[in-house]
Amino acid sequence: MTLTANRTPVKPAEDVKAAKRSNPVRFVILAALLALLLIVVAPLLIIAINAVKSPADYASGGPLSLPPHLYWDGIVDFWNRVNFGQKLWNSFVTSFVVAVLGVLLSILNAYALGIGRVRGRVWFLVFFLVANLLPQEVLVYPLYFLSKEAGLYDSLISIVIIFTVIQAAFGTYLLTSVYQEFPTELLDAADVDGAGKLRTLWSVVVPVSRPTLGVLFTFFFIWTWNEFFLPLVFLVSNDNQTVPVALGVLQGDRLMDATMTSASGLIGILPALIFFLIFQRTLTRGITAGAIK
Amino acid sequence: MIRSRAGLSAGALLMAASLALTACGGSGDGDSSNEGADAKTLTLWHYEGPTSAMGIAWNKAIEEFKASHPGVEVKFEEKGFEQIQQNAQMILNSDSAPDIMEYNKGNATAGLLSKQGLLTDLTEEAGKRGWDKALNSSLQTTTKYDDDGIMGSGKTYGIPNYAEYVEVYYNKDLFKKYNLQVPTTLDEFTKVMDTFVQNKVTPLAVGGAEYPAQQILYSLALSKADRAFVDDYQLYKNKVDFKGPQLKYGADTFKQWVDKGYIAKTSAGIKAEDMGVSFTQGKFPIMISGSWWYGRFVNEIKNFEWGTFLFPGNKLHPGSSGNLWVVPEKSKAKALAYDFIDITMKPEIQALLGNNGGVPVAADAASITDAKNKELIENFNKISSEDGLAFYPDWPAPGYYDVLVAGVQGLINGSKTPDQVLDEIAKPYDENLADLGK
Repeated sequence: MTLTANRTPVKPAEDVKAAKRSNPVRFVILAALLALLLIVVAPLLIIAINAVKSPADYASGGPLSLPPHLYWDGIVDFWNRVNFGQKLWNSFVTSFVVAVLGVLLSILNAYALGIGRVRGRVWFLVFFLVANLLPQEVLVYPLYFLSKEAGLYDSLISIVIIFTVIQAAFGTYLLTSVYQEFPTELLDAADVDGAGKLRTLWSVVVPVSRPTLGVLFTFFFIWTWNEFFLPLVFLVSNDNQTVPVALGVLQGDRLMDATMTSASGLIGILPALIFFLIFQRTLTRGITAGAIK
Repeated sequence: MIRSRAGLSAGALLMAASLALTACGGSGDGDSSNEGADAKTLTLWHYEGPTSAMGIAWNKAIEEFKASHPGVEVKFEEKGFEQIQQNAQMILNSDSAPDIMEYNKGNATAGLLSKQGLLTDLTEEAGKRGWDKALNSSLQTTTKYDDDGIMGSGKTYGIPNYAEYVEVYYNKDLFKKYNLQVPTTLDEFTKVMDTFVQNKVTPLAVGGAEYPAQQILYSLALSKADRAFVDDYQLYKNKVDFKGPQLKYGADTFKQWVDKGYIAKTSAGIKAEDMGVSFTQGKFPIMISGSWWYGRFVNEIKNFEWGTFLFPGNKLHPGSSGNLWVVPEKSKAKALAYDFIDITMKPEIQALLGNNGGVPVAADAASITDAKNKELIENFNKISSEDGLAFYPDWPAPGYYDVLVAGVQGLINGSKTPDQVLDEIAKPYDENLADLGK
């Protein structure tokens, strides 16, 4: 967004004139975009407002009123109550490891399927696609008994393994279609230079497709970070829980604590938001951008 | 092809799983009361917030337990309601099961787990330690489950520390403004609401999208009911006629209340939380809902005086025991778990619960020092002495909650007649009876 804002002033004079002529239209579009933005941001704003509101103010003013003074106790209490620092660390470790392993696995699979043209690759791809479409609820019981047999129930390792596979299934599917379009000239050149299969992969294919891999990495990280259902099932002990599971602690049987829930929601999404902002540039480069230069 | 094979093996696993679940139902322990007495840790889970009445009382109980059991480490973990609700079955069947935990009462929860043999039978301990005498018969209904996991009879699988019931919250300032008295009969209650309507005030705060509306309808039905009706409806003693005098009266009167403007038509989409907030804001003079709001209102209502009374004229009120302490069959410290339950039933812990806005099951009203909480507990003791807990309308059948919400919403927004609604809610009820073979 900052990019476009910076670009407008450097436009040539002719363009500016044209822009002035179509001003009303531009204004309408701008207004529409602003309205849309407000709709998208509104829920986040409400969370932010209520996160810093005291329960008494919430009770007397309702969810939409502005807090008369900033109240940080909700956030602090929640942090201490669930030992949030540890949850952050658990989430970070699992998401990071899953993202790295997931990308690695996707590269190897996609190299074989997209460039290596393994026999029956279409069926492999269909399999990966179907695996992606499978709702997690279906997987729960089989995974539960497998992990219990392997002694991995209530352990972060089980989550890492499960999500590496799930994410890599999507990654393989996507990356394979990218690699199918991979310029054969580059591969032929590598072949002529005497590079083996592995050398070609690491020195030619991976560097060329790095932007796509960056996107995959970011997505894998954020998706794993936001996962709720399987971590809820598999991470039983509080010491092993991830951020979204910890947020669930506040959901009572009949009552909800709206201000503390908002506070937890705010600090729950902040890390993913920060991560997203850092890697935003890799994302904007686009999923298919990097294949051919 | 690949998929279908995977599906097959998943199915096989599921079958193996259900076999394993039923297989471990046996109770092989000889003398269970001393089992795990020498354990060095007690893992304890519950899902009440640290500032709630239960949270405060149970923290104290943990301290007392530590004092009376030096050398035993208490590993307390606060869980999310959702996590326990979703996964209890899987957790209790694994080595990660806690030694003692809080769990929901009811056929679909504690009943189901007891049927699968995942919970320890507490009947003997309850008799030995006098827990059964501390609980009156309607409270005990939710602690006992038969071989099919249906509550009301059979073995004791859980012990509740607190109770809950539905009562009427009212805004004293608004009552004073219109010169109104606390009603003691249903007629008087109607007149009070008429006065508010005449002054262009909607009397009732109702959350039609969740549990509150159906509890009002049930309260109205209970005004014509006796214990036999409750036993029929909740425990399937006899067939219930949905067009009979109780439920028919409930639905018809509820419709009248909507027509007369006691209940706003817009409340069909209101959630319970918003209902509570609108009452704390003073937008409505009356709210009919559960005792679980009490502690929160004590802390949060600053702008007006408020009070409570029982649904006027009723001898039966929606309500039940609170959630249960259960001891998983895989608990490694059963004897310690029994000791802990015993501590939570002690008078001082019960009084602590009562003084923080909870409804203790075995408290002496005299030991409740807080004036506001005294009212709550005296109301409960009144219900308790009349054996007046009638449970909740959505208990009898699985998934019945949503059926009732939809039915009552139809009454509120006028899209269905009372008879249509009664037919609609009778169907799943009867189907469930057929499934149970009754």
